[in-house]
Amino acid sequence: MAEIERSPERDAAVTATLPHVPLDGWTRRALKAGLKDAGMDPRDLDLLFPGGPVEAIEVWCDLADRQMAEDLAREELAGMKLRARVARAVMGRLDRLRGNKEAVGRALALLALPQNAPIAARTAFRTVDTIWRAVGDRSSDFSWYTKRASLGAVYGATLLYWLNDDSEDDARTAEFLDRRIEGLMVIPKARARLKEAAARLPDPFGLIRRLRPAG
Amino acid sequence: MTALDAPFAEPPAETAVPRAPGDLSPKQLLARMIRVDHAGEYGAARIYAGQIAVLGHTDKGPILQHMKDQEQVHLDTFSDLVAERGVRPTALLPFWHVAGFVLGAGTALMGSRAAMACTVAIEEVIDEHYAEQASALGEDEKPLRDTIEKFRAEEIEHRDIGLAHEAEKAPGYRILTTLIKAGCKVAIRLSERV
Repeated sequence: MAEIERSPERDAAVTATLPHVPLDGWTRRALKAGLKDAGMDPRDLDLLFPGGPVEAIEVWCDLADRQMAEDLAREELAGMKLRARVARAVMGRLDRLRGNKEAVGRALALLALPQNAPIAARTAFRTVDTIWRAVGDRSSDFSWYTKRASLGAVYGATLLYWLNDDSEDDARTAEFLDRRIEGLMVIPKARARLKEAAARLPDPFGLIRRLRPAG
Repeated sequence: MTALDAPFAEPPAETAVPRAPGDLSPKQLLARMIRVDHAGEYGAARIYAGQIAVLGHTDKGPILQHMKDQEQVHLDTFSDLVAERGVRPTALLPFWHVAGFVLGAGTALMGSRAAMACTVAIEEVIDEHYAEQASALGEDEKPLRDTIEKFRAEEIEHRDIGLAHEAEKAPGYRILTTLIKAGCKVAIRLSERV
């Protein structure tokens, strides 16, 4: 898993930068202003974020992931169904971005640039990975990959929808998310049907069993 | 010199310390270890499943089932570790699922001695592999090291079971074990990373 350097200084600096992003964008100028607001020396910018604004975005995403996991740990999830827990986690992640929609939009624009594709993939992976762990997923088989891939698609679509959602408390986003998860539920249903069909086919290993040597 | 003959060395106080620039961090090192061990036990369980599919009805059935049960315990342990420590399982699991079964069933079709030779070859490689891991783990990872040492003892038991069941009398024993050992080592290197 991609490791990231976590420090209170980096968290504080990126949090203080957020109010400056709508005006200055994700720029060194905004980061310097944020450092100043956080009571740090703006000249430390290159020490804290050697990768510049893109790295600051990565730190912000990671910070929001961690906060979402902490929020979720405080909630009572045990009685909920898995899909409800996942929906809760995704909405919790978006809650952590609320009030900074402008900054999210600008961050996405920056991460969409080809040279930032690796970082974009890394942050997206970290988010879905954190969500699955936060809802208590313990898979260690190949579903580890399929779960992360499908949630990645759902989360990405929901995030884009959320950017243009002006409804109260993101109610329309929550509905959109429910429809996307509903769409995912088609997969296990189709698999159950396939299994049923496969059970009616002849068993290839029956042949091997007949071939096995005696004694 | 096999790992068994290696002189007993004190384990390091801390895992991955001292560490040179470019070396894996302790977290990365542990992730690799758990990933490859999980993949290995998964493959082992599949190999025994393949052998049981062919030899399950013979007199070798119970002993194969005994070994498969032990491998299943190992696999469950590493599955828990994968979940607890947030390790990515290897992406090659579907491949090991098929390859393990084919190897097990294939050698079993060559006869019970060839199946035992397959066990001997694999468990010898795994023994070395676990010994290598155990010596790299420090005092801070003592529980994991003890687990690996316990599993290693059981893998050695499997090898001895194989030898006791005339593995060495299998047709083409040398060629067969050399090929399987080479394949095993490739599988280990792949599963650490992919």
